Amino acid sequence: MRFRTITQELEKTKIKKDIKRSIEDYFEKKGFSLIEPNTFQDYGDFINSTVNPDLAKSVKVLGGDSQIYVLRPDITTNILSQIFAKWDGKKPLKVYYNSKIYRNETRGKIAEDYQMGIESLGENQVNGDREIVEIALNLMSKVDKNYILELGSSNYLDSFFKEKNLTEADELAIKKLISRKNRDGLEGKLQSLKLENTMLMNILDMQGSMEKVITMAKTYEINKEMKKAIHSLESLNEYFFDKDVRDNIKVDLSMVPDLDYYDGVVFKGYCSNKPTKILSGGRYDKSTEKYGLTVSAIGFIIDMNVVTEIRMEGEN
Amino acid sequence: METLTIAIAKGRLGKKGLKLFEETEYAIEMEENSRKLIFNNANKTINFVFVKPCDVVTYVEKGVADMGIVGRDTILEENKDVYEVLDLNYGKCKFVVAGFENQDLIKQNDILKIATKYPSYVDSVFKSRGQKIEIIKLGGAIELAPLMGLSEVIVDIVETGSTLKDNGLVVLEDLDPISARLIVNKVSYRFNYEEIQKIQKVLGERR
Repeated sequence: MRFRTITQELEKTKIKKDIKRSIEDYFEKKGFSLIEPNTFQDYGDFINSTVNPDLAKSVKVLGGDSQIYVLRPDITTNILSQIFAKWDGKKPLKVYYNSKIYRNETRGKIAEDYQMGIESLGENQVNGDREIVEIALNLMSKVDKNYILELGSSNYLDSFFKEKNLTEADELAIKKLISRKNRDGLEGKLQSLKLENTMLMNILDMQGSMEKVITMAKTYEINKEMKKAIHSLESLNEYFFDKDVRDNIKVDLSMVPDLDYYDGVVFKGYCSNKPTKILSGGRYDKSTEKYGLTVSAIGFIIDMNVVTEIRMEGEN
Repeated sequence: METLTIAIAKGRLGKKGLKLFEETEYAIEMEENSRKLIFNNANKTINFVFVKPCDVVTYVEKGVADMGIVGRDTILEENKDVYEVLDLNYGKCKFVVAGFENQDLIKQNDILKIATKYPSYVDSVFKSRGQKIEIIKLGGAIELAPLMGLSEVIVDIVETGSTLKDNGLVVLEDLDPISARLIVNKVSYRFNYEEIQKIQKVLGERR
């Protein structure tokens, strides 16, 4: 077995840097400005501002003032607190970031990864959705010709549940079955809750082209919020109708986001030769409330490790 | 069209899974006494690979196999990020807590010793119960543990319960039901949606 020499190593670093730079240039061309997150975050703030913080994975540091700090475990919450401390929400704000995040690994090691992403704040919803989804699609097309953007809406399912008054445990169990695409388990659970004649029984069929899914989702008796969810997908469908990227979008209304802080369109990007998502994001307007301002907010993060891997394979 | 790879758990469970493909376009072409690990169907649209049950889930999660056939016990223990699209309705049994009769399972402040082949699963079950536990991982013959005083109870899969009975143990609590499942890699699911739906339908009708 041979190992890379330092010259080869530096060569690789240059390629990585070029990949990052080309994405950064693209974001800047689209009007996004670089924002630098703080390296250390106050432990209390971190717990309060993060949904389901994974405490075991966060790397703690004891400051000289005997306070506990966290070595930034993610960037979105970090920059949002920075932004909302100084921003009045009046003029739209578009930022991108590209920094390291830190987390404890299972065997006691500290892992560092680059996280890159963009956030668009204060833009009207329709334009915000269109712009961010289009940027995601363009980025993916540059990484791999064969890509799919999986598009859903967390509002469609969430608004349905709001009306049904299920216990938290039942709702969670149903969501888990849906997210595992476990049709047999879902049918059993719905029957036990007498929900077998509702939209949920067919939620796993609501996957495919935008037209197909939108048409199907409309056939169910639905509430106002669910209508709004479909409407935002329709508006995207309209926008991408005559564009080449349209066939790369697959709608999946049974998509359950990993984080409950989303409340609108959600999406994940896949490339054909990688078994994991390369980008993910969505709308999170309601989550801005805790910073004292409720504004339109949408963004996504890119897994730079996977993007770099794909591009490096291409170079070879 | 792209060739899809299906990882099959070696042993009884996998063999039965292959039977579901018989007389369909996906039927495997086996060579007798061959030591090969990869086989195809007649029109080469499917690769079948044979691996250990716990590796089926890993192969599918990592995307080297698009689909897999494996027991739900393994899925629950491995807890990997895959879709669990079809219950194949065979290999049915259940996870249970078993031990000697008339045992009080909730022991305040004391540690309950549990022997099992499924440590992660046991951990996830007891996490929310406010019961301190010590998990003793064994490779087999789990029923022996309470008899030898190694643990107070066991968590294991039980089909008929006769092994428990022969050893003087009883089921103290039923946990999750188990059967063979068809699992799919999340990215492959999206890229090969139509083809996977077709296979799912064929297996669904024949299960």
